[in-house]
Parts: sequence; C-alpha cells; structure tokens
Amino acid sequence: MRDGARAVWVAVCAALLLPVCGFAPDPAQSVGADFIVTAAPTYEPLAALRGQERFKKGAQLLLVHEGQAEPLVPGFAATADANVSFSAKKVLFAGKQAAGDAWQVWELTLKDHSVRKLTTGAADAIRPLYLPGGRMVYAQRTPFGFQLESARIDDRAATLAMEPAGTPAVLALTYMQASALPADVLADGRILFEAGFPLGSGATPELYLVYADGSGVESYRCDHGHARWGGRQLASGDVVFTHGASLARFTSPLAHEERVAAPHAEYVGAIAETAQGEWLVSARTAASAAYAVKLWNPGAPAMEAVLAESGENLVEPVLLAPRTWPHRHPSGLHPWDYANMLALDARLSRDGDLKGVPAQVRLEMEDAQGHAVAMGMAPVEKDGSFFVKVPGDKPIRFALLDAKGAVLRHEMGWFWIRSGEQRICVGCHTGPEHASENRVPAVLLRTTTPADLSVTGKAPQRSTGGN
Amino acid sequence: MKRRVQGRLRTAVVAGLCGLGAALCGIALWTGGPAHADVNGRTGEVLTYASPVEVLFSPDGTRLYVLCQGSAEVRVLDAASYAAIKNIAVGRVPRGFSLSADGKRLFVANSWDDTVSVIDTGTLEVAATWPVGAEPSSVVEDREGKQLFVANRISNDVAVLNAQTGAEEKRLAAGRGASYITPSPDGSRLYVTHVYPNFKPRRTGMENRTPPEAEITVIDTARAVVAERIPLHNIAHGFHVAFSTDGRLGVAAQLHPKNLVPLAHLEHSGAFADTLTLFGADVGKPVEIPLDELERYAVRPFGVAITADKSRIYVSCEGSEIVTVIDVERLLRFIHTHQGPYAQDLSASANYVVARIAVGHDPRGMVLSRDGKLLVANRLEDTLSVIDTRSNVLSKTVPLAGPKQLSVLRHGEQTFYTARYSFQGQIGCANCHIDSTFDGLTWDLEPDGFGRDIVDNRLLEDIKGTEPYKWNGGNPNLPTECGPRTEKYFWRAENYDDLTLTDLVVYVRSIPRRPNRWKLPGYELTPAQERGKALFMRTADKFGNPIPEGNRCSYCHSGSKGTSQKSFDVGTKKATDNTGLLDTPQLINVALTAPYLHDGSAATLEEIWTVFNPEDKHGRTNDLTKDELNDLIEYLRTR
Repeated sequence: MRDGARAVWVAVCAALLLPVCGFAPDPAQSVGADFIVTAAPTYEPLAALRGQERFKKGAQLLLVHEGQAEPLVPGFAATADANVSFSAKKVLFAGKQAAGDAWQVWELTLKDHSVRKLTTGAADAIRPLYLPGGRMVYAQRTPFGFQLESARIDDRAATLAMEPAGTPAVLALTYMQASALPADVLADGRILFEAGFPLGSGATPELYLVYADGSGVESYRCDHGHARWGGRQLASGDVVFTHGASLARFTSPLAHEERVAAPHAEYVGAIAETAQGEWLVSARTAASAAYAVKLWNPGAPAMEAVLAESGENLVEPVLLAPRTWPHRHPSGLHPWDYANMLALDARLSRDGDLKGVPAQVRLEMEDAQGHAVAMGMAPVEKDGSFFVKVPGDKPIRFALLDAKGAVLRHEMGWFWIRSGEQRICVGCHTGPEHASENRVPAVLLRTTTPADLSVTGKAPQRSTGGN
Repeated sequence: MKRRVQGRLRTAVVAGLCGLGAALCGIALWTGGPAHADVNGRTGEVLTYASPVEVLFSPDGTRLYVLCQGSAEVRVLDAASYAAIKNIAVGRVPRGFSLSADGKRLFVANSWDDTVSVIDTGTLEVAATWPVGAEPSSVVEDREGKQLFVANRISNDVAVLNAQTGAEEKRLAAGRGASYITPSPDGSRLYVTHVYPNFKPRRTGMENRTPPEAEITVIDTARAVVAERIPLHNIAHGFHVAFSTDGRLGVAAQLHPKNLVPLAHLEHSGAFADTLTLFGADVGKPVEIPLDELERYAVRPFGVAITADKSRIYVSCEGSEIVTVIDVERLLRFIHTHQGPYAQDLSASANYVVARIAVGHDPRGMVLSRDGKLLVANRLEDTLSVIDTRSNVLSKTVPLAGPKQLSVLRHGEQTFYTARYSFQGQIGCANCHIDSTFDGLTWDLEPDGFGRDIVDNRLLEDIKGTEPYKWNGGNPNLPTECGPRTEKYFWRAENYDDLTLTDLVVYVRSIPRRPNRWKLPGYELTPAQERGKALFMRTADKFGNPIPEGNRCSYCHSGSKGTSQKSFDVGTKKATDNTGLLDTPQLINVALTAPYLHDGSAATLEEIWTVFNPEDKHGRTNDLTKDELNDLIEYLRTR
C-alpha cells in the first residue's frame, strides 16, 4: 500500500473508531484542562530537518476532554502540529484535506469549529505557532529544505498598526540552505527553532533563537554536541527539550544544558506544562512500544499514564488553555539591502586562545549552489574588533586570518544578518553567557564606515577554504 | 498610508491624554499641595504617598523607623505588630537617616532643604534642624558621638559637623554625587559611594568615550580625613554598602553601564551589568561580581544587607523588583577558585545567587532584624516586604498608611522605574536617569550608525515646554520619545499600552526641578552673577561690535528654561556626527549636568567656549577674559 493511501486508511479508521472505542485514558488521572495530541502510527520527529515526512502513515489531532479523545478536525486526511492561541479560542495546525495535498497551515475556531486555510502554496507548510502582533511563524518547504516564515493572520487595523510600515504579509525569517523548524515562541518574543548544528551545514539537531523579524539569529546555548530538539518554554522561563531520548533543560543561570532527572523512559518531542506545574510528556518504556501521553510531576519518581493506544504514537501534547502573551518584538531594521556587523573582540571564543594574532577577517557567502564565495577581507584591529558591511539575508560566515593570511579560526556553519540589521558580536563563538566589555571598539575610533564586503568589486571568487 | 495615519492618531490620542493629565496635575500644584503631593489624574484629588526609602530598627529592636520620601516624614512603627506609633515631619525629600551611636537621636538628611533633622528618639520630636551642604543624602554619627558626617550629592563632598551643635567643621572631597555613607562595624571607617561618575580631567580629549570611574571614599572617623579611595573601574553609579559583622567583607551595590558600546540590542547584557563590588580581607583586592543571568537580570542593585552569621547577602534590585540572595560561602569559594574578571560572565551568578524574591515596586533600603527577618522598603508601593531569611520566602507585606488609589503620576513613576517593559527586563528609564535626573554619560545609540552621533544624556527636570527632544530635535514630543522610539531602540520589546504611556509622559513632564543652590534667597543675583547675566544678554561685544542676533547667548537659550526650542549649528559637529544642526538644550540646573555639548566632549562649562568655540559660532565668547567667563558661569549656575 502506498503511503498516501495508507494514511487515508488510518485517518478514516481513526475517525470512525475513536468516538466508539476511544483511547485508553487512566480515569484517575486529571490533567486539569483539555489537551490536544497528535496520534500517528509512525513518528519520525527529526525527519523534517532532513526535508522528509514525519508522519509517513498519517496523523490525526485528537482533542482530549475529560479523558475522552476525539478528532479535533474531522474530515481532514491528516492533521498535526497543533498550537493553541494565547486566548485559547483558536488552534493553528498543519493539515491535509486530501491525502495527496501538501501540508498547509489552517486555523480552527473552537467556538464554531470552523476552519480557514492560512497558507496556499504548493509545498508543505508545517509547525505553525502563534506570534504576538497578529502573525504566525511556520516552516515552509523550499528547495533548500524547510525555512521559517512569518505570515500575517490578522488584518484588523489595530493589529496592522503595530507593524512597521512596509512589513510584507509573508516574511522569510531564515536564510540558509538547510532546514529549520519552529519549536516555541518564548516569553521575550524570540522564536525558538530547531536546525542542524553547525547551523546551515550540520546534521545534529540543535536549538536556536531568532527575533520575529529574522534578525539576531544565534544558538540558544553554545555547549553543542548533543541532539537537542522539541524545546518548550515553561512558566519559569526554563526551556525543556528532548536530548536524544531523554529530557534536559536550559535555565537562565547556566550556560549549558542541565539534565532532567525524569523517570527512565524514551521521551519524544515537546512537553506541555499544566497550570499546576506538571508536565504532559510523550514517552514510551520500550523501543517497540508506541509513545503514550503521561503526566509527570517534576521530581516525582514515576509518571502516570494519561492516554495511550496500541499502535498509535501519541505525541506533541498541547494544553487547550489560555497562556501568557509573549512580548512582541518591534522590528528596528533599517530600509537597507545590506547589513552591518561589528565584532567587539574576535579573539574571544569558547574554543580557546588563537594561535596567532588576527589581522584580517574574511567573509564568505554561500551561493545558490552551496559553494562558499569569498566576499573579501577587512582588517581586524589590535583589540580584535572589526566592522563590516555584509550582504543581507544571505548565508555568510567569517574566518580570522593572521597577517600572512593563515586561517586562525573559521566558522563551521552559516548564519545570516537581516537586511537593515546592525549586529554586534561580542566575539567569535563566545557563547551567550559572555557579555560585552565597556569600551569603544578600536575600529570605531578609526572609522565609522564599515568595510564593504557586501559585494565584491569583481566577480565573486569561489573560496578555496583553509588557508 | 492608513497605518501612518493610525500611528499619528495614536500619538495624538496619547498627547491629548497627556495634556489632560498634565492639566489635572497642574490643578494639584496650583492648589498649593506639598512638594510631593500627587494627583489622581482621573479625579483631580491630591494624593500624598509615603514612598518609603529606608528602614531602621531601634537598638532594642522594638521600634521600626521608616523614612518616607514622599510624605517627608519618619514613620515610627511597632516592630512586632507594625502598628503606627507616630509620624514625624521632616524636611523635603528626605533621602537617608541613621541612629546615633547611643540610639537616642535619629538624624535625617533632607535632600531638598539642605538640612539635617535631629529627632529625639525618646520624645519622637524633632529636636533640631541643622543647615548642611547641597542635597544631603545620608548622615552618620561617629561612635563617640562627636562628629556627624553628611554626604552632599550636589557639592560632591562629605561635610563633617559637630554632632552636638551641628556646626560644620570641614568638608571632605568625595565622589560626584556623594550619597550613601556606611560605617564599618567597628565605626573606625566610613565608606561613601556616589551616584554619578567621577569627573575626568581633560587629557586626551576623548574622556567622553572612556569608561566611567567611581570610587568608594573611605574616611577615617577618628581624624575625619579621607584615608583611602577604592577605585571602581567602569562603575558609574554607586549605591548602598554593607559589611559583615566581622568587618572582613564589604559589599557595594552599583551599576556598570555599557555606554561605550553601540546600543544595538539588549540581549546578553548589552546595556548594563548589574554588579556588586566586594572588598575587605575576605577577598583581598576589590572584586566586581555580576548579579545578572543569561536571560534574567537584577536591575539596579540598590540596598545591601549581610546576615549576622555572614551566610547570606541580600541585594534589593529596584528595576527588577526583587531581592537577590547570595550564599556567601559559595561566593567566596567562587572568587577564590575562578580567575576573574567576572563582570562579563552571565553564568557566574549561578555559582552564588541562591534565590530571587519578588517584592514591591522600586525596592530600596533594607534592614535585618535580630530574629531573622529582612525588611525591604518598597518606595513606589508604600509597603514593606518582610522576608523570612531562614526560608528566603516573602512572609508578609506591610502596607503603610496612605492613599490606596494609584494616581496617574504614581503609575507613571512606577513605569519609569520598572525594568519590566524592556527585553528580558533589562533596563528601565531610571537606568540612565538616576533618581529621575541624568547619568553623566554619553551613549552611542544604534539608529544613527555605529560610532556615530555620540550623545550626552540630558537632565529630565522640568522639561515640559522644552520639546523637541533628542539632540537632533528629531522627536517632536514625549509620547513619541517615550513610546515608539523607546520601544524600538531602547526596550527592544513591545511597549506600554496607551494609558501607561500617557501616565509615564505625565510623570516625566512633571519631574520638578531641584532647588537651585546658587540662587540667593529672593532670587537676587550676586555681583558676579549680575555681570554674567549682562554678558549672557549682551548685544555687542567688548569692542562695540554688534553681535548678530543668532549669535547671542540669549537668542538661542531664551525663555525661562533657556531654550528657544530651535536647532542651530554652533560649530561643534565632529567627523562622526551626522549633523551639526543641534537642538538647543534647556539650561535648567545646567551647573549639575556635566559633561556638556551634544556629545559630552566639554567636561566643564568653560570648555564650551575655550576649547569648542574657536570661531565664535557658539555665541560670541572669544573676546571674554577668564574672569568674564567665570562670571558667565556664575550666572548660568542660577538657571
């Protein structure tokens, strides 16, 4: 049976059977609110980072009310990725009306169960999340994999008035040749997203941050090396995520992740925090079993079953309850087609001391074919500062060179600076824990005009890399 | 177009609301209410809030003294029940108080009256009121009861008075904006902090772009001399100091600005570090440690208290509205096992901060009780937070008698002082406008370009009627300045709702001007001031040549506030400036606001004319002698 037909078959069966037999709730267990969960015979959560399908045999969003599950959006061939609006009156989801359709973003109004389609492209659009200011962020399939986009979903005048003039209805937020998937919108307004590490080139899932206008992209933490995904922010501000098959968290005081001492199980995807501070998780105790929804009171020795179904993975639980509005990010981008970047001290890095004195910095841009194109070089001052004008909205990376042109350090991945953005970096991979020192960078005492690396004076040269 | 119209409409609505609020405030002031009477802008009712700033226990622990800045009084409470015993009226805007060594007298520094009230703690009456220096902000008596030390914020010194008569004996130079005095546990030393960065002598001409410097002035109480100046590099604003009872650990609360780095974003402590300086035998050389975390900040540390067993340090953080709790053993272990500097490490505080306790609006002074309670004065909430130091849990909030309504001004002031509106709660208006004034620093704001248009921070006193704002005159009114501009380029996060913005603007417009210390009673001018005034108003130079109207001091700096509200090119444009056309700054209390010029390049008023006016574009001044410039300065000091 082809995957598409199989998906339809599963969806139809699920839709027919659910109201009759229901899933298997533990009647003793109360979450304290309705919740939505995705039911899927198979679940490959990281497939989308490779540009592949996560739910090869289909998926169905279930609304769980007092322990009873029923399809949230009947009539769809597939539904997934529920995100509840801040007022809990609407739900964003990715859906396919017909099995052969691409995934599109829809919005369900809970009051009357009406749905409206928010994306219309021919390619998949998945993992939608509400943003403050009448917009949403989602992942749009492109020739380079899934890219984050923000789209206006509320055209009321009061909402429009919050946007800077000229803000497009659909705004690309990521600019790299690798996939990215939104994970959560943090209380401070930034978007938490998953992508491979090193960014733009690597395959190890990692968590990153970006502002709602695509500026300020950075790793959440720089203790890389672990597979981290499925991040979700708690009321405390901590971010809990899946680390391999276990749970871990980022806390505000620490520059590195902290393991969560949760009961032994294989966890998958984002958790949901209840109003009482308990966690709804998707977990299983054996690799052959399906993921089930469980409730865990952090610190408790065991979890309690909430919902399970043989042969169905129940994943990505979200509570159907109002939640705090994140801060809206007021974009301060300038109307430029380039960007500026000021490095305060490129010598600083978590990676240790340089083996020489940096004298110049080389900018590379990734072209459409994935080749690194050298955009030119700029001087590095004695205090490690440099100031450059770079192409906006393009994958770029820097390398530090000594006076003889030998590479002292180079970025492994790619990042971007939005057109009109003025970015400051404290160092080169210093980690978010390293704050700036209070001194005027020497480069700004010499000039306030950035070295123009936004275009090469001649035809762009392909970088040979290394030295 | 539609959006632009809506934006204008919003600004117009806010401006209209501001006007209404301001009018109601005007009614309150016109009715002759006390200097700090507040007004409920919706009803016009005059309200006077207590605004507690400091708190003390009596030596026997039975009474609680609460210094209330808003109501200008000391409130005496029963320490067990918090029941009111008596309210004692003192001078205007009291800022600091302390008990005499024998506990029989309570000294209060009245910052706007330039006096110290001496309260008899037996009768709870003001026994004497002594004139002191300019803007006294704290007062401490020596152990022997012989001398009284008073920190004067405006004259940047510590006055030494006879503790029995109040007669001034001498002055000791302290840091700029000297404000808070803390005695060592044995009373042999006094430690004085200051709220504005120290003046820098002109050496390279780049003093405006070098890190701020501050100090802790250490006074030998027996000899009444400055024994030491502990340098605080990169610190601009110092607040309270506390000591462990063994005297081996001193802790100073302070602000560490990032004013030399372009202010492009706030993440990763981009604008300020909220830090402490540790000093004393336990640490060796002074050490600066951060309180901030990667995503959570301890904005504007102010009060400090150390438990008697030296196990915990408590720090009130005004902008974050919290008390930060530090484990001393862990702190000392950290600094002895990790190489500094630490101030730039946002993960450092994880090693020693053990709790962050939410308290009220604008927490200020704190005191520890013998039975393990920490009391915190919440200035903009009229409450005392009571924290159980055994559990580090807020156990009680004690309301002080006063208005229950939240007035327009009060809400506006809370908005001004809180950091909650900025990205990750990192800064508030009061970070750069210390106690609603200024900060003595120059900043590099991002919109004008990195390293371009360096701007001196301006005083907020009595700014109503001085618009437009910004040095380039680019902001027509306060709703724009405090609203969209602040949201986009300072807070980097969504801003206030319209009502909150209105209240904030009404508050900012109402910030009064401090009493001018250079004016004689009755506003007569001294002979030097008269001569300076004549120079300011003159229409011809010393050689009889007429001075073109646009080149007269009085033309641009016209009106009661010293601004024509127009922009001029006075020849001060630097290579890094985008324009030489600059808004005429108001002259209100101009003597206090160094450095000068748009970029803070003039360290003194005199340098404006002697260094930065070679072509007489900033007024005709090159015909004036040194003495005449001094006269001009004398006059400007009266503005």
